[in-house]
Amino acid sequence: MARVKFLCDTDRCIECNACATSCKNEHEVPWGMVRRRVVTINDGRPGEKSIAISCMHCTDAPCVAVCPVSTLYQTDIGVVLHDKDTCIGCGYCFYACPFGAPQFPRSTLFGSRGVMDKCTYCAGGPEENGSQAEFEKYGRNRIAEGKLPICAEVCSTRALLAGDGEVIGEIYRERVLARGFGSGAWGWKTAYYPQEA
Amino acid sequence: MTDATHGTPAQGGDRPAFVGYRIAGAIAAAVLFVLLVIQVFELFDNDNHTVPEVRWGAPPISSEQSGDSSVVAGEILADRAELQAPRAEFGPSPDNLRTFQVGSETQLVEEPIEDPNAFLTRSWSDPSQEELAMIRGVDRVEGVSSLPYVGAEIFERPFARDWRLGMADVATHLGALAILGFAFLLAAVLAIRGRVPITRGKSERRVKRFGMIERATHWMTSVSFLMLALTGIVIAYGDTLILPFGDELLGQTGWLATWGHMMFFPPFALGIAAMFVMWVRHNLPSKLDVAWLKQGGGMFSDDLHPSARKFNAGQKLIFWSVILGGGLLVVSGVLLMFPFWILSINGMGWAMLAHAIVAVLMIAIILGHIYIGSVGMQGAFWAMWTGRVDRNWAVEHHDLWVEELERGKGAGR
Repeated sequence: MARVKFLCDTDRCIECNACATSCKNEHEVPWGMVRRRVVTINDGRPGEKSIAISCMHCTDAPCVAVCPVSTLYQTDIGVVLHDKDTCIGCGYCFYACPFGAPQFPRSTLFGSRGVMDKCTYCAGGPEENGSQAEFEKYGRNRIAEGKLPICAEVCSTRALLAGDGEVIGEIYRERVLARGFGSGAWGWKTAYYPQEA
Repeated sequence: MTDATHGTPAQGGDRPAFVGYRIAGAIAAAVLFVLLVIQVFELFDNDNHTVPEVRWGAPPISSEQSGDSSVVAGEILADRAELQAPRAEFGPSPDNLRTFQVGSETQLVEEPIEDPNAFLTRSWSDPSQEELAMIRGVDRVEGVSSLPYVGAEIFERPFARDWRLGMADVATHLGALAILGFAFLLAAVLAIRGRVPITRGKSERRVKRFGMIERATHWMTSVSFLMLALTGIVIAYGDTLILPFGDELLGQTGWLATWGHMMFFPPFALGIAAMFVMWVRHNLPSKLDVAWLKQGGGMFSDDLHPSARKFNAGQKLIFWSVILGGGLLVVSGVLLMFPFWILSINGMGWAMLAHAIVAVLMIAIILGHIYIGSVGMQGAFWAMWTGRVDRNWAVEHHDLWVEELERGKGAGR
């Protein structure tokens, strides 16, 4: 069984923000929230790196562990999904997330958070696959169509890879061998192998 | 309780035994002991892994195949991932080998896993040698982002993984342990020590202890604290306590609890401030308190009654934990109600942890206060309810206060 992951090759990412833009468009993510974003490290200095980051769909996901109302759940391919009907906007997932993935609309009274939204790995949510209700709450369900997340499939430099961890890991290793350098899989230790030293 | 406090006044030396209270205490202690054992077991049963609950599968393509195939689903996704490989190294595009999805028909479906277990989680956490070589070290990595969102510039903060330990293990598990353990202790005290009687029996005379405003403030604060505690418990323990009764119920009580938690905060904050102003001068520590505490407040004998003014050392401890603990809860709660106004995400994480841990401790402390103010001691409840207490009760527990009161009024009532 596949264990899907995200891998961003920082030596290839050119900070074009196409992943962030196509994600917002594909899922019609509301104003003020962003499921995928691009971070530039050491901007304007030697060793500058850009990296696209969203929910990494962690192993032993901390957000699922702290969710007090069972909104968050994980599927057998590793994708972490959320149920907007039960979310109470407590923000625990937001404090527990190492990657800042959970997003909250801040339009409600008292500045309280409202219902959480996060990257679904383009896999919708608990509503029926491909239904209008699912699209309105969670965006398009590309996994049910046998496709991979739009952010990776749209990436012009193939910096952002998505899909079975073994396959994309192999692609990345071949690439590093071919070009002779690589700065490694960013975030994988935190996301996928939290126990390893 | 009405029976015991309103009944015929006990004659001198003929102390009420309160056998019913002892039996009730014993039953409560037994129930709480069972809950405590369950909670201790929960602490060590090692089930705090995130376990996948839903599986993907490809619908059967022939009548011979039964059920959705997760193997085919995995193959479809793996083949699709291979499309991202460079053609120069991986050979021609594989689209002549398999039909890749271009339309939007559903190919894969999801269904609940019948018996979720941690097998997948464990297999995922075990990297192959090749993957180990790819993994970078971990630190807090921050950069800049051209996207205009709060926090967009943070790539990774591994601290969040530890926050989960603080929340799910320390605050939730140890909090439940503290609440259940303290409740068990109180029930055991009631069963073994019994209800504290008015040793000299009831007198016909009553003295005024709390005025209208004092009582109104107390009850405003206590009702809002109870509501905050109950809504907080729904938020913190809803997964354990309410989920067994259904997802739907949990969602609705969850929302109610979130909004209730906000709604009951203003009277609570106001009550804390008012109580501080009203009672702080009676609650400054003094030498009497040391003597009172040394004698255990006279808790262990009916005939031992250490001296106290208006508030004894135990009441002072409650007062200061309410002022400090409640104050901390109000401050951290307000900080959390306005995300990013004052605190960054790390700051809010700490505020949330502090809020949760102080809250469970406060619940345990207030349990003790409720106990001694109601079932734990004969006559104590009326101080806050009618504002007037039996004179014998007052003389036994607050002798110096009664003296001052009667000296002030002249030796009248």
